[in-house]
Amino acid sequence: MRGQGRKQQMKPFAWNYARPAEQAPALATYSYDAALQLNVLADGRPAILDRALLAAAGTTTSKAGSATHFDD
Amino acid sequence: MTVLVLTSAQDVTADLVVAELHELGVPLVRFDPADLPGEVALSTEYVRGEFRGYLSTGGRVASVDALRSVWVRRPGGAAAHAEEPSAWLAEETDHALYGMLDSTDARWMNHPSAAARARRKTWQMRVAHRSGFPVPATLVTTYPAMARRFAEQYRHVVVKSVSGKSPGDPPMALPTTLVPPDADFSGVAAGPTLFQRYIAKRADIRLTSVGDTHFAARKTAEAGQVDGRFGDTGHSWQPVDVPPQVARAVERYKRHASLAYGAFDFAEEEQTGTWWFLECNQGGQFGFVELDTGQPLARTVAEWLAAEPG
Repeated sequence: MRGQGRKQQMKPFAWNYARPAEQAPALATYSYDAALQLNVLADGRPAILDRALLAAAGTTTSKAGSATHFDD
Repeated sequence: MTVLVLTSAQDVTADLVVAELHELGVPLVRFDPADLPGEVALSTEYVRGEFRGYLSTGGRVASVDALRSVWVRRPGGAAAHAEEPSAWLAEETDHALYGMLDSTDARWMNHPSAAARARRKTWQMRVAHRSGFPVPATLVTTYPAMARRFAEQYRHVVVKSVSGKSPGDPPMALPTTLVPPDADFSGVAAGPTLFQRYIAKRADIRLTSVGDTHFAARKTAEAGQVDGRFGDTGHSWQPVDVPPQVARAVERYKRHASLAYGAFDFAEEEQTGTWWFLECNQGGQFGFVELDTGQPLARTVAEWLAAEPG
């Protein structure tokens, strides 16, 4: 079979179906607390207590296109 | 004995498990290999047949002799946050860290070698078939003619990333997408492309397997929906029983793949209700399922990690 010779001028087939990644929604600020080994909200509570925030923000949602996670 | 958690600081899903480990009273050390060297330090000695190793971070010190398990959750690349990162330093650090951890009797969720192999979709297809799952016809090719023939044979085919990674910088999203009938397949020659027979589905299934425990969740799909991760359908994940034959196939798959954890994706076929294997994410997310269903996934992961080495 042929067709392998022109690849420098072509973009990979799958790229035709790529779309801009969704912007991550703005999250309430949380930061890592090395003493607790957990992330905490600005008021010091563990971030996981604010489940509505986590669900809305999609922090834990599986989605292709993540910049940091290759295996969702 | 200590649980070692390797993940990024921002990983809030890992927090769910860390909190459970705290509740179980199990000591743990958490860090990101990206912070080694720097915020994390290590030392390993192998002298006259005696092996000793230590890791320290944030004022905690863990002896590698006392590790009961290692959870490789979402670690950054070794030495990625170093003051002067380089490919050489990353390789040196990776070998030092994982070589040390590999020298222990700790249980792994999941071992990096098993994880690396398990990420490969082509390999997944074969293992899934051998394990007893129905697997949609799949083609990975750089031959445009073969791609065209596959599309003609199955009429409705989807294209997806082979590696699961997104193209572009900044990264683009690459949803699993139906290939239109008039597609120009010449671009297949420019990069290996994964095509799969499209399964018309009535629901997405996410099965999270932790050790010997399996949790399945189901989300109703919209008519014609291809990739359940994209587009808000208004449906949420609901717990669903795991059919015994699926549980057996999951166990065979994980045994063959040497995985302690796996998040399996299935398409529930519209007509028959058959669960078609799509992929197994060895490090798949579970927080979104737990939030919707209330299934105790974080607790189960924590209990697996907390078990004493056999």
